Amino acid sequence: MHELSVALEICRMVEERLPLGRTRDVRRVGVIVGDDAGLEPANLSFCLDALLLQPPFGSGHTVVTMCPGDTLRVDYFEVDDDNPDD
Amino acid sequence: MTIRTIEVRERVMAKNDELAAEVRRRLAEHDITAFNLVSSPGSGKTLLLERTLATLGEELGIAVVTGDVQTQNDAERLARHTTRLVQAVVTGGACHLDARQVLDALDAIDLANTHLLFVENVGNLVCPASWDLGEAAKVVVFAVTEGEDKPLKYPKMFRESRYAVINKVDLLPYVPFDIERAIDNALQVNPELEFFQTSALTGRGLHEWFDFLRWNTALLASVH
Repeated sequence: MHELSVALEICRMVEERLPLGRTRDVRRVGVIVGDDAGLEPANLSFCLDALLLQPPFGSGHTVVTMCPGDTLRVDYFEVDDDNPDD
Repeated sequence: MTIRTIEVRERVMAKNDELAAEVRRRLAEHDITAFNLVSSPGSGKTLLLERTLATLGEELGIAVVTGDVQTQNDAERLARHTTRLVQAVVTGGACHLDARQVLDALDAIDLANTHLLFVENVGNLVCPASWDLGEAAKVVVFAVTEGEDKPLKYPKMFRESRYAVINKVDLLPYVPFDIERAIDNALQVNPELEFFQTSALTGRGLHEWFDFLRWNTALLASVH
């Protein structure tokens, strides 16, 4: 459940950085997770991938990078600017 | 295909922490001390709060924000012990409260006549450790029925807490719980942790808890 809450917050962070309607063009979301962050990285990927495949997203997936400490940070996301549906 | 990378480099908790700072600012404006009660389910924190409200509710002007997952049972129990507002936040399956929920709850509390605020978090020793709610301190409650290795199993919660209440000590004769070992385990994780040993059921140890709350409330009032 905790990973799902965190995944929802990550989606909110991505949504607020994109114009309306562009979230479906998100392809990858890079997240940095510390080994003492209190999260199971595989569970976070599972939850975030599930959200990124649903509206308002469409075909994104998660890239988790591990690091020491309790870091939990959204590093970047990638957007396809040539989406033919736009 | 043109892929554009947008750098974010922001902590996932950044927005929550911003809201927690706003909670802290509003509480400070009214000289209110806030404690975030965290525990596993069944540790006895609702009964501890009931006893606290019954004894100190009016004296200290205590308000409570509670976070039942699917019911308002805790809020209803607490409301029987005080005419003061109990603002229930039903989290609908979530595993913790966040600062936005507490900030919203503050709007429904008479802050001018409140000196002490308890946030009764969702029963869970993992997730609530990560979320700052704007409290002065987290108070972790754990019962002697849970085993003395809880601090080692859930170190983040004990590391994030400033106080620990070892509850249900009336059951010590009946359970294999070594209280000294439990304290040692907790201090391994957080050497600064301060302890209370209570039975919310029989009242044992509650005087120390009540004195602590009186002292904290008076301390903040004396600073301003």
